[in-house]
Amino acid sequence: MAHQAHAYHMVDPSPWPLTGAVGALLLTSGLAVWFHFHSTILLSLGLILLLLTMYQWWRDIIREGTFQGHHTPPVQKGLRFGMILFITSEVFFFLGFFWAFYHSSLAPTPELGGCWPPTGITTLDPFEVPLLNTAVLLASGVTVTWAHHSIMEGEREQAIHSLTLTILLGFYFTFLQAMEYYEAPFTIADGVYGSTFFVATGFHGLHVIIGSTFLAVCLLRQVQYHFTSGHHFGFEAAAWYWHFVDVVWLFLYISIYWWGS
Amino acid sequence: MAGRLLLRACTTTTLQLRSNVVARPLHRAMSTAKGIPTDDEQATGLERRALQALKRGKDPYSILKPKKYAGTKEEPHIVPCTGTKRLVGCLCEEDNTAIVWFWLHEGDAQRCPSCGSHYQLVHNELPH
Repeated sequence: MAHQAHAYHMVDPSPWPLTGAVGALLLTSGLAVWFHFHSTILLSLGLILLLLTMYQWWRDIIREGTFQGHHTPPVQKGLRFGMILFITSEVFFFLGFFWAFYHSSLAPTPELGGCWPPTGITTLDPFEVPLLNTAVLLASGVTVTWAHHSIMEGEREQAIHSLTLTILLGFYFTFLQAMEYYEAPFTIADGVYGSTFFVATGFHGLHVIIGSTFLAVCLLRQVQYHFTSGHHFGFEAAAWYWHFVDVVWLFLYISIYWWGS
Repeated sequence: MAGRLLLRACTTTTLQLRSNVVARPLHRAMSTAKGIPTDDEQATGLERRALQALKRGKDPYSILKPKKYAGTKEEPHIVPCTGTKRLVGCLCEEDNTAIVWFWLHEGDAQRCPSCGSHYQLVHNELPH
């Protein structure tokens, strides 16, 4: 009985879920140890283990799908559902921080001066760097769509160019936002304004970095001929994630930067 | 180790990128002169076998919804099988919760012991 008669992928046993779990344990306990005992060894160990796990696990998925052909149409469908569910969970993650922001800003307490922005807070002008950031991310949404169509139409050069442009725009956003963080007249310690601002935009920035990394991996794969014009789900997943990051920024911009200023 | 791997990935990528920028003919120019392979050119393994079979109108891996048959003597339910027998579960009527299970053997068509629909085992070779 050499071959299976179904189109699904029965994955071979793998050590990466275990190493990932151990890495997560070391990260979390390492964080606590760092807070209380000023030692970063557990934290560093956890981080290294987690990074190694991610690299090897995803490398194995690429091997199974691209090089061994296990990602038949039904398997791809499953991967699509998985990515959609993951992004949905991230939406709820951000929903929490928006809830916190609106809770504090719609009915500002007397301690804040009964107003929003709170007394003493100089907000950032939404029509300066934040508006540029909005333009940068919207443009990157256009370039990533260009990249997708290039791949579907078999245009290698254009796919590489547009994907590179998308990543560069992502880096530009991160650079601009880092500058803003450095120059901001308020800090995370400045009451609930500072907390909601930096936690929400901070997690968004982290997701921009994650998204840029995902796109960069796709660029590497595209250059190495992994994608075909009909099957390039890794890229589609990265593009979905990137659009999600863009949409979160739009909500951040409208709520915190504009309405909240 | 990871450093060396990253270095190797970067060098391969740069080399491939460079060879594209120097307008040499893309060494992957098969039917797609524009440089991105098609599934027909590059799909491999189970994915390739499944796609090639679907292109020829066959579905050996049961990816598509099964066809509807009348279940009569003239038009029995066709049951593909890689061996000599296969389990059949008959829902005699829609919404029935009691499924009638029976083994379907190769040879003449068999009938469901409850509703009498005809089932015919058909040998199905897996592509390889």
